[in-house]
Amino acid sequence: MIRVAHVTKYRGRQAVLKDVSFEIPAGASLALIGPGGCGKTLLTKIIGGLVRPDQGEVWVDGQEITRLSEIELTRVRFKIGMLFQNYALFDFMDVGDNIAFPLRQEGKLDEEEIASQVEAILKEVDLPGIERLQVNELSGGMKRRVTFARAVIRRPPILVYDDPTAGLDPVTSSKIFILLDRLQRQGATTSITISHDLVGLRSICTKWAMLVAGEVVFFGTSEEIERSPTKVVRQFWMGESDEV
Amino acid sequence: MTGVGADRSSGSTGSTGEGERADRPSRIADILASVGAPVFYVLSTVGDVFKTFGLAVYYTFRGKKRWDEVINQCYQIGNRSLVFITVVMAFLGMILIFQSGLQVKRITGDFSQMGAVYLPLLIRQFSPIIGALMIATRVGTGIAAEIGSMVVTEQVDALRMNATQPVKYLIVPRFIAGIFMTLVLVVYSTLVSFLAGMLTAHVYFEVPYDTFWDISLVRWADLLIGVTKTLCFGMAIPVVSGQAGLAAFGGSEGVGWATTAAVVNSSLAVIMLDFVVGGVGFMVFPTN
Amino acid sequence: MNGVLHRVGSSILSLSREVGGLAVLLGQITVRLFPPHLDGKETWRSFYKVGVKSTPIVVTTALLTGAIMAVQSSAFIEEWGAYGLLGWGAGFSIMREVGPILIGLMFSGRVGANNTAELGTMKVTEQIDALRTLAIDPISYLIMPRFVAMIVMLVLLTVIGDLFALVGAMIFADLMIDVSPQVFWHSLLEMTYLIDFLVGVIKAGFFGFAIALVSCHYGLKVTGGAVGVGRAVNNCVVASAIGIFFLDYLLTPLIDSAWAALFIRYG
Ligand SMILES: Nc1ncnc2c1ncn2[C@@H]1O[C@H](COP(=O)(O)OP(=O)(O)OP(=O)(O)O)[C@@H](O)[C@H]1O
Ligand SMILES: [Mg+2]
Repeated sequence: MIRVAHVTKYRGRQAVLKDVSFEIPAGASLALIGPGGCGKTLLTKIIGGLVRPDQGEVWVDGQEITRLSEIELTRVRFKIGMLFQNYALFDFMDVGDNIAFPLRQEGKLDEEEIASQVEAILKEVDLPGIERLQVNELSGGMKRRVTFARAVIRRPPILVYDDPTAGLDPVTSSKIFILLDRLQRQGATTSITISHDLVGLRSICTKWAMLVAGEVVFFGTSEEIERSPTKVVRQFWMGESDEV
Repeated sequence: MTGVGADRSSGSTGSTGEGERADRPSRIADILASVGAPVFYVLSTVGDVFKTFGLAVYYTFRGKKRWDEVINQCYQIGNRSLVFITVVMAFLGMILIFQSGLQVKRITGDFSQMGAVYLPLLIRQFSPIIGALMIATRVGTGIAAEIGSMVVTEQVDALRMNATQPVKYLIVPRFIAGIFMTLVLVVYSTLVSFLAGMLTAHVYFEVPYDTFWDISLVRWADLLIGVTKTLCFGMAIPVVSGQAGLAAFGGSEGVGWATTAAVVNSSLAVIMLDFVVGGVGFMVFPTN
Repeated sequence: MNGVLHRVGSSILSLSREVGGLAVLLGQITVRLFPPHLDGKETWRSFYKVGVKSTPIVVTTALLTGAIMAVQSSAFIEEWGAYGLLGWGAGFSIMREVGPILIGLMFSGRVGANNTAELGTMKVTEQIDALRTLAIDPISYLIMPRFVAMIVMLVLLTVIGDLFALVGAMIFADLMIDVSPQVFWHSLLEMTYLIDFLVGVIKAGFFGFAIALVSCHYGLKVTGGAVGVGRAVNNCVVASAIGIFFLDYLLTPLIDSAWAALFIRYG
């Protein structure tokens, strides 16, 4: 479903992604982990066609996207729902319009249908009836759940979550993981989840990839990562540091 | 477009990381790079501006337009700049008439033609260019700040992920509104600075109002040149400023840089277009 | 009606708040002038930065402005056959008004806006507070050098800009209506007075002062992250433009009459 081959990206003369390659089969859910600044967000932006890599190829649903024009990319992007790490909520719209935006752009449903879907999804994320609030009136955790709602409302076949539970309390964040899991099963979606919550990730993900300084240091299943002999992977998994 | 933001671009390319510096760049290469970076910046900005312009025109004639947003933008532009333009144009009228009064005093001492000579000059030259520079200052920076902060907070990425072209969604409404409102505001500017000039002529040089109010020297060519210039400025300002906004990167600094790039680039665009349209106008309609 | 009154009232309030803020900043700067204390290195750096940043756009603007003035006057000159007046006409308006105003506007866009963005970013990222905790006075360290640099550089740039604008006018006078450079310079040198040049340059000094004051004020006052910085830059260029036109209107007759008074006394 998603194949990344030899993707390299430079910032100035420094490579921030180095020869990244992996493949996610349809219906799988990948957990993307790694220390801060290792290039996780950048990689998801490349998969969404938002940033073009300097080298390498990206295949989404059988199509190579790195050389597509912005207009050709729109067809690919209809297949992807993305939850942004920094919310990326439209501050010139209220909550309801934010969530309805993907549906309106798709233009398949009428307003009544859209409103009922928005209402339903807000109930699912425990924020019923906040459609008419402005974005700047929300707390960080509320924003996170609204971006979640906006990412999934179209039920796209591919979902990318960049830190869906950052800044959420433990109860809400486990609820989000349950939601993720349900979506995954219902829609048979392919997903990429970035998070530092390894326990939560373990409950939903079947594949793991770990990036360190722009390089893939691990790619494999949950069992494999638990028994990985690589030092950085083991340390990250156990939350240890060199000094101890 | 001359060297604006070059400090920014060279700042980002210059920050080579550790590692991967097998070939230490020589001094000459460094010097070449420091000259090359601004040149590259200027060229790529000009290229981006033309690309944005092309897309804006394309989407203006193709596809659904957000007319409610166009109207909202018209209102924003007018609301933001009306007071500002009134103040500036009134001062401009007073300054110009005061200065030309001094000039007239030195040569002929005949003030009767003042208004008649002033009006075509205002229509063809001063009102479009100063009006447009003020709109670039007020509206252009606003556009860049708005779009720039949407870029750095990833709202533009979110738009793109929902299969929405930023140029179509954000710039086209501002483009249409910009063309229309620039025309309206420049006509208004002409009126304000003519009236201010009339008042000044009366107070300083005792020119009667009805002597000053003399439209006999205005040719159709003046109107045509003035309107053409205004339409060009109206197209250039939203495109140049919108491009500056879309090119923003980084955090809150990014927005600041985008805003400064917008005011300088769109002012330069206005001055260049004024020169081009004025020159062509002179060649097409030399003298009556 | 009530809404209008309310809006007028709140505009007046916010206007007086701005003017008050400007006055306070001016006061803080004046206090630090006795005894004058300038960080030499920082000042030199500011000169360099301001100069390097704005010279290209000032030269571009000036050349084009001169050309525009020549094109503009061409119609009149041809109509009235007054070829001998072009140098004077262009020179008079360039040096007195068009040069200082346009160069001032471009300078405010390039240097003033940049200064606001820079100070504003320092403010929102709490760098200015960090300076304070290091017992460094932000006004003497950050503001004074910029002030001096902006005033001096705008004066210098106006002199340079005048020159380039005249060259632009000369070239286009030659191209468009065959007024030879000799005729152009002859009329310029014969008919313009020193004061025409000085008025422009003195005004430029005041414009530089206004731009410095406004841009530092809005930069230091930024609140509210990315949007705040953008808004501050916007306010800075708007206030600078108003300041430039207002000062221009005020100063031109003042300088002229001061000069006249000087002449009457010393002949
Ligand atoms: N468009 C881009 N072009 C080049 N480099 C980029 C681009 N966007 C981000 N980077 C660089 O990529 C690096 C990795 O950033 P990224 O945001 O992907 O980290 P991250 O793994 O998501 O970290 P965190 O866990 O803190 O979110 C950073 O050094 C950043 O400067
Ligand atoms: Mg990230």
